[in-house]
Amino acid sequence: MYLMQSKNRAAILGYGAYIPYYRLPTTEIARVWRGGGSGPNVEKAVASMDEDTVTMAIEAARQAVAMSGLDSLGAVFVGTESKPYAVKPTSTIVAQALGQHHTLAADLEFACKAGTEAIQVITGLVGSGMIQAGLAIGMDTAQGRPGDDLEYTAASGGAAYVIGNKGEGAIAVIDCSTSFVSDTGDFWRRAHEKYPRHLSRFTGEPAYFYHIENAVRTLFEETGHKPGDFTYAVFHQPNPRFPVEVATRLGFTMDQIKTGLLNPMIGNTYSGSSPIGLAAVLDEAKPGDKILLASFGSGAGSDAFCLDVKDGITKKRGKSPTVKSMLQRGTRIDYSTYSKFRDKLHK
Amino acid sequence: MAIQSWRIRDRYYRLVGSRCASCGAEYFPPVYRCRECGSDKMKDKEMPKTGRIVTYTQLHEPLPGFEAQVPFYLALVELENGARVLTQVVDSPDEAVKTGAKVKATVRRAKVEGESGQIIYGYKFIVA
Ligand SMILES: [Zn+2]
Repeated sequence: MYLMQSKNRAAILGYGAYIPYYRLPTTEIARVWRGGGSGPNVEKAVASMDEDTVTMAIEAARQAVAMSGLDSLGAVFVGTESKPYAVKPTSTIVAQALGQHHTLAADLEFACKAGTEAIQVITGLVGSGMIQAGLAIGMDTAQGRPGDDLEYTAASGGAAYVIGNKGEGAIAVIDCSTSFVSDTGDFWRRAHEKYPRHLSRFTGEPAYFYHIENAVRTLFEETGHKPGDFTYAVFHQPNPRFPVEVATRLGFTMDQIKTGLLNPMIGNTYSGSSPIGLAAVLDEAKPGDKILLASFGSGAGSDAFCLDVKDGITKKRGKSPTVKSMLQRGTRIDYSTYSKFRDKLHK
Repeated sequence: MAIQSWRIRDRYYRLVGSRCASCGAEYFPPVYRCRECGSDKMKDKEMPKTGRIVTYTQLHEPLPGFEAQVPFYLALVELENGARVLTQVVDSPDEAVKTGAKVKATVRRAKVEGESGQIIYGYKFIVA
């Protein structure tokens, strides 16, 4: 009774990921603030000074749209907590760059889960027949206060998904989903504040684990699926440890989650985190595979999805750069370059 | 005015130039009269997003509005259809920025009008 399923199933028809070119090793952050050591992840992806959520969303969206082969989108939704403007939509700039004007455009915000919310809403719009296809993007340029624990992981990147009616070009059918939310004060950023605040003791058990476990267990109960039915599972990745822990608690193995586990190499891309993990899985998945996707957003909530990979994946593979190729095409920067890029240092 | 600013955005975001309906010549930025055949039947046309560096220089002297970005590469890029674009080249190792290098278009922040003004986006290129 809590399962969300559109009468006409929608499917992913194209996808594109984006990871910025610059990487900051966490040993650099530790060198500056702790005098040595490293963070939980090895590196994090850093947007350049001329990049923001708009530019990165355009890059990912262009790949997704090209892969889909569509030229008209009924909706363009951007899920992000790092809108370049407090008031002015990110989505209209993205839509303009795609040449889309007869489209429903909106920005969604739910800490790290706004990207999967966009997927839910577009799925509903397609499933109801209101639109033929739409674009769901999860993208962020996450920032942590200098020296804060969050600075080790807060990263930039994300992915875009063109969702439309299932048919020959379907890469993966979005079979069903669940959502679970509660008022939880684990992490927040007030208006006009540049950096978020968080309560470390709240971020794990009552926030991340409680909400993801509830969303995924509800999905299992109402569909009859069990962990063994899935070839892959992708969880939100605030650090390298939480997704492994939640996977274990829910009965998944390391083999099922390793393909989509990118936090050690790129950090936490917030709204982009689980969507980019899904892109890494789609880069390798085969028709017939089943994928579990579960996001988490502070404040708090989780969306869990069951996806069925279809034949379209083999025909469309190679039409957009893989997550692996983006991981390889990077260059390391030091803390001072990072400070300059991310507006922590001015001339 | 609204239509005109649309056109400028399409030029900066999507590299929309023009194509001569009479002889097929393509131009970026768009022109109102064909330089090849003199026709004024010009249609909007999105330019190819890939090309090669014809010549380039590294700028160290800040242009107004670009102070934070120096030093940066400025290049003349010839697109696959022969149209030429003067553009910044970003996210590319120094050794890769050279004459003949294959580049592809991206959209970046071109200029930011202070803390409270607008953010202007536009095309830049990356060595492919
Ligand atoms: Zn002509």
